[in-house]
Amino acid sequence: MSDLPSRYSRQILFAEIGTAGQKRLLGSRVVIVGCGALGTVQAEALTRAGVGRLRLIDRDFIEESNLQRQTLFTEEDVRESLPKAVAATRRLQAINSSVAVEARVKDLNYRNAESLLEGADCILDGTDNFEARFLLNDVSQKQRIPWIYGAAVGSEGLTMTIVPGRTPCLRCVFESPPPPGTTPTCDTAGVLAPAVNLVASLQVAEALKILTGRLERVNHSLVSLDVWRNTWRRLEIESGRASGDCPACHLGRYDFLEGERESLAAVLCGRDSVQISQAPGKQLDFPQLGRRLEPLGSVSYNRFLLRFRLKEIEIAVFPDGRSIVKGTRDPQEARSLYSRYIGN
Amino acid sequence: MIYLDNAATSFPKPEAVYRELQDYLRRDGANPGRGGHQWAVRVEKTMDDTRNLLARFFGLDDHRRVIFTLNGTDSLNMAIKGVVQPGDHVVTSLLEHNSVSRPLRQLESDGRIRLTQLPFSQEGFVDPEDFRRALTSRTRLVVLLHASNVLGTLQPVAEVGRICRRHEALFLVDAAQTAGIVPIDMQAMGIDLLAIPGHKALFGPPGTGVLLVGHRVEPLPWREGGTGFDSEAPLQPRSLPHLLEGGTPNTLGVAGLRAGLRFVTGEGLDRIRGHERRLLARLTESLRDNPRICLYGSLDTHRRVGSLAFNQEGYTASEVGMILDNSFEIAVRPGLHCAPYLHRELGTAPEGAVRISPGYFNTEDDIDRCLSALEQL
Repeated sequence: MSDLPSRYSRQILFAEIGTAGQKRLLGSRVVIVGCGALGTVQAEALTRAGVGRLRLIDRDFIEESNLQRQTLFTEEDVRESLPKAVAATRRLQAINSSVAVEARVKDLNYRNAESLLEGADCILDGTDNFEARFLLNDVSQKQRIPWIYGAAVGSEGLTMTIVPGRTPCLRCVFESPPPPGTTPTCDTAGVLAPAVNLVASLQVAEALKILTGRLERVNHSLVSLDVWRNTWRRLEIESGRASGDCPACHLGRYDFLEGERESLAAVLCGRDSVQISQAPGKQLDFPQLGRRLEPLGSVSYNRFLLRFRLKEIEIAVFPDGRSIVKGTRDPQEARSLYSRYIGN
Repeated sequence: MIYLDNAATSFPKPEAVYRELQDYLRRDGANPGRGGHQWAVRVEKTMDDTRNLLARFFGLDDHRRVIFTLNGTDSLNMAIKGVVQPGDHVVTSLLEHNSVSRPLRQLESDGRIRLTQLPFSQEGFVDPEDFRRALTSRTRLVVLLHASNVLGTLQPVAEVGRICRRHEALFLVDAAQTAGIVPIDMQAMGIDLLAIPGHKALFGPPGTGVLLVGHRVEPLPWREGGTGFDSEAPLQPRSLPHLLEGGTPNTLGVAGLRAGLRFVTGEGLDRIRGHERRLLARLTESLRDNPRICLYGSLDTHRRVGSLAFNQEGYTASEVGMILDNSFEIAVRPGLHCAPYLHRELGTAPEGAVRISPGYFNTEDDIDRCLSALEQL
């Protein structure tokens, strides 16, 4: 242990990591996609654990409502309204200056995903939308990079580890993302920090196994937990697609990386508005979506559109999920607002 | 899906255009003029033949002055940048599309020209008197659209043409919304440069455009390159059309455009315009009685072509567009229609308006379904 810094001594003492494991960790490259609640917890733990290189990808800027759970951010960051990836990097460098941390203020999409994730030994999911996760899954399968799915909303959390060639993948479990506007989000249903922290910690544990070469220890189940209703379930997914017809991991079809399923964001003529076009899905249930959004702002709808107003932002949602986000000219911001309030 | 966005590009195309595109690419895949083998000669012949048809159709007596371009924007840029010189004065209107106002505003902002943008009436027409007053001895070029791409209103092109002739100014007309619908005669109307997209009412494929260059104009090319002859000459040949057409042309597009033009001449402009006017009349008569709809520009169908702009109370233009698409499968065009000055003058900026633009292949039933959708909003 002599040639390794003493800051890692407790981790090295853990027999299954040891000096060899720590050395592998110090040479590893990790990408965290999404630097919100999950991402900040993951990033801090992995920086303290001593990964070699860490890339943080996030499109958003820090807001006050983030401080309740996004552990790397401070009130000063809110005042400066810094990009999350930049503020996190600054903080992480103060925590462990020997880790090479790199911030990428970017919206992950099918055009940049392969280059942003290339060369990673492990990818951690800190995103807030399914579109990005299915994209991560495609890159993971194509480039043979393990990734760790994680999600938390309300008091519930979900996580699953995907090691190409060894475990089922996300598309073995879910054939396609849920239609837009049908799932709760942290911005509509709220979220408890302990649920997030638990999921992120489980993801980090899985990452440590992968990065130190202990693949036999990887958890093969989908873990579902609820810190408020006191449930903790492990769902075996081995048999999820026994027939061997998973489009991604069996047939090698990377539909999300081809871009055909990606939503388009186009700046419209007129007063700061961006149109989000989803691949056509099923018809939205406006009463249900309205009920979810009502506590947050003003909602009105008829059979043609639902309007949701929150301060200077307005989102007009149409029956097939396409939307016009008003109050911004930035497609990246519009996509982010869409993920947060409508959900995709 | 009901397509009511023909002011952007026509859809569908006549069967003959689809057939020609398919056949041509299989049959005549060679480069015109290059090599002199029989294929090359046949392709050159297609180009020539199309130039001839276009020259005749638009009242130009020399088919060599018909230049193939990429689209209307390319034709306009080629014309504007090919004739203006530093220090020139250029006159245009506030009705123009960005394909005219942007190149002109850029030249103005670079300090190369002085620009006058003339207003239009509540009804959507420019006044030839304004042009008479605006022209000076420094005015090299006057640019005016034949019909507004938003309001559909037809402009007094012949009157402005006469004024330009008297002042030695060159007259460039943007016929994006009228070529193939309204008769245009360059000689009779005093037009020096006529810019036309091939893919609108002439029914050619996208990627086609035409610039017709009158005898008073000696344009400069913005690109030089291969012409398939005179290769030892170090400079671009000065003869038209080669002066302006360096590089392999879009022969497939030209063949498709020829098929479209033949369709138009076969049907006849009277019939085409008559059909569009009937559809437009049906539309305006119903919408003018709807108290929740605000129509823009003159409603006199004799003085306009098939574009109708409106706004619906309670919705933004882009919402109306999205609802028509999403709930009724009707394609229209909301927004500023690349005509920001026009919308500013109308008071509809920055949201713009909804534009319905029927074409020759739309039916009365299409219009009725669109009207019924708007009533339900």
